[in-house]
Amino acid sequence: MGTFRFSRKQLCIPYALFLVCFVVLPLAVIIYYAFTDGSGRFTLENLLSFFTNGNTIGTLCYSVVIAVAVTAVCLLIAYPVAYVLARSGLKRGPVILMMFILPMWINFTLRITALKEVLTLIEGNLSLHPFLNTIIAMTYDFLPFMILPLYTTLLQLDESLLEAAADLGAGPVAVFFRVTLPLSMPGIVSGVTMTFLPAMTNYVILDMIYNSTYIMGSLIGSYFNIYDWHNGSMISLILFAGICIVSIFTGKADQSDLDNRGAVL
Amino acid sequence: MTAERENRKSAAARIAAAGIAAAGLAVAGMPARILSTGAVHAEAAEKDTGAAAAGTATGQASGEKVTLRIANWEEYIDEGGWDEEEAIDLDDREGTVILGENSMIEDFEAWYLENYGVEVDVEYSTFGTNEDLYNQLTLGNTFDLVCPSEYMFMKLIAEDELKPLSEEFFDETKEDNYYIRGVSDYIRNIFDSNTINGAPWSRYAAGYMWGTTGIVYNPEKITEEEASHWALLTDPRYKGQVTVKDNVRDSYFAALGILNEEELLSPDFINSDDRLERIAEIMNRTDEKTVEAAEDILKQMKENAYSFESDSGKADMVTGKVLANYQWSGDAVYTLDQAEIDDYYLAYAVPEECTNVWFDGWVMLKDGIGDDARKQQAAEAFINFVSRPDNVVRNMYYIGYTSVIAGGDSDIIYAYADWCYGAEDDAEDTIEYPVGFFFSGDNGDPDYIITAEADQANRQLFAQYPPEDVLGRAVVMQYFDQENNQRINQMWVNVRCFDLTSISVADWGKMALGVIIAAAVIFVFIKRDDIFRKKSPA
Repeated sequence: MGTFRFSRKQLCIPYALFLVCFVVLPLAVIIYYAFTDGSGRFTLENLLSFFTNGNTIGTLCYSVVIAVAVTAVCLLIAYPVAYVLARSGLKRGPVILMMFILPMWINFTLRITALKEVLTLIEGNLSLHPFLNTIIAMTYDFLPFMILPLYTTLLQLDESLLEAAADLGAGPVAVFFRVTLPLSMPGIVSGVTMTFLPAMTNYVILDMIYNSTYIMGSLIGSYFNIYDWHNGSMISLILFAGICIVSIFTGKADQSDLDNRGAVL
Repeated sequence: MTAERENRKSAAARIAAAGIAAAGLAVAGMPARILSTGAVHAEAAEKDTGAAAAGTATGQASGEKVTLRIANWEEYIDEGGWDEEEAIDLDDREGTVILGENSMIEDFEAWYLENYGVEVDVEYSTFGTNEDLYNQLTLGNTFDLVCPSEYMFMKLIAEDELKPLSEEFFDETKEDNYYIRGVSDYIRNIFDSNTINGAPWSRYAAGYMWGTTGIVYNPEKITEEEASHWALLTDPRYKGQVTVKDNVRDSYFAALGILNEEELLSPDFINSDDRLERIAEIMNRTDEKTVEAAEDILKQMKENAYSFESDSGKADMVTGKVLANYQWSGDAVYTLDQAEIDDYYLAYAVPEECTNVWFDGWVMLKDGIGDDARKQQAAEAFINFVSRPDNVVRNMYYIGYTSVIAGGDSDIIYAYADWCYGAEDDAEDTIEYPVGFFFSGDNGDPDYIITAEADQANRQLFAQYPPEDVLGRAVVMQYFDQENNQRINQMWVNVRCFDLTSISVADWGKMALGVIIAAAVIFVFIKRDDIFRKKSPA
């Protein structure tokens, strides 16, 4: 007793501290603000006002529509790219992958500014298609986050499973839909998670591309700007809860998928 | 005037500020410490009576350092480092040459040591918006001296956060009191006559920069007449061609201007003796009916505008993406200067209905100063130092805004205005532009008439020193109290949020159809085994 013995467990201490300081405590502060009013009393007013105000619901819908559209477009573009890069045995696959990742090394404000000029050249006036521009800009910004996980998953795909499916009489289409696609689900799930939430909240892109309609991120920001920390925190919390629920479901789907695969194997 | 001035609020900084505000992190705005190099002030235009001033400080000055924490707008003070060729050679009585060699902060530290015999250490930090500053204060960042806009210092006065300026600060007989000796009577009058809870602004605040709000426009595409009405912002002929300020106060002001256009422009109203008071009353209405009506106008504005912007409007104007933008006069000067570099000539108009005269002012915080007399003395000395005429010129040159200081006995500031805008001797088309209202209180004063090129009547000179008739319709926009503030901010959120009711039935139908088709495809895909297997012979 009393002598200090270094064990592997202690290596976790820095991370635990980090977790407490920058994840748990801020979350506690947000929860505190979300359920109190200006004078510090407990209230559910903030929660109710979110769901009874047509504007916040409108913003939620608008954000979800944007996020779904961005995620879908990203997925449709990223999947074929990742598939070709990972499966077709291109000699310079990693180099081409690098070409897709490269833009991420440039600050995104710079990229969006450049994109703005390009879109202005094409459209003439950016203010005519704010929704379309937002989708384009966000897709441009988030695409690498979709490609990377898909590429990694597809790269690890066991070739023998595909051969086995072909041997058993499945055509290329059936192989893709019955083997490749289900097996790449984990990649799809992580790609979607990495795209969907930022697309709902990244209002800097919206501002830069001149879409004057708020999304969830700008709504939260606007409440903090007018010193209304309580409503701002509540909206953050609702968003957080929404993401948690979605993660649980996708996590489950992912899990059952693995189980199925286990059964097949 | 071809000085390339830095952008006041860089986009990146604004984004960073927004991010910090959204995350609600307490680390926002750690003071960027500026080290004193002990540099000696290079171009003292006036001889400081050092000994006399030092005497006042000997009471407490015991060699101990005073730390002064100052928060100011980004890019809102001369940061020095001018090239030799940037030196401003003024054609005044003393033949002054002004050059910003060191930053204003360094020069202040040296000046204070020299005159008061006390070493002062300035911790200088910046903020991007008034709200950002207020959030920093509520998060527990302490400052001694800050420079918010008028509505924010009104709010701070109302909340009893501020320390009153000392009586000595207003002693005009004291040589070093550059502020009270130099401030323009027009400004002084506004600071004395506007009150919060019975106390005039001037008890707590000393002005720094001021200006009007108006519209920067491309005179080749938009007539001066069109640009001289707030209605331009909702004019469908210029759909997607005009930018609007992305903050509730400025936008609300413009909306009220449009809402009350008829009354504000009626001849009876314009000719009434109390026109200014009546404009002030109209433009400060915050009742529910007015706010609702403003909401509709702002929604039109949102549909019609190129963008709501807090920074990008200047660049979009200069690059010709838009034909007009709603702008503060100081940024208007910047925009016009920038465009001029590319031989692109823009103009500035102040709407006929009314304009918002705004101020940024220095105030001391109770939290920071406390009862520390030495600190208060240093803070007040700082205000006086930046109000010293040669320093005023440096700041004005560097940031492009107009100082509230007219100069008092010194004619350096007028000489600078003349240096900027006075026409060359051989210029053909010139006008006599009186600025006496600002410099001497008498607009007919023959000593204060700039002979400028004719186009300056609606360009930079007009923006920096608006003529008397513009000031006849320039009113202060008061701060909103808690209840009104909440209502107006909620209105602004309503304007910016997506309005579900704006979707037509047909669009709802299309969306429903899309969702049904997508759902059907997914359903078929999932159940494909059950559906197709029966048909297949295998």
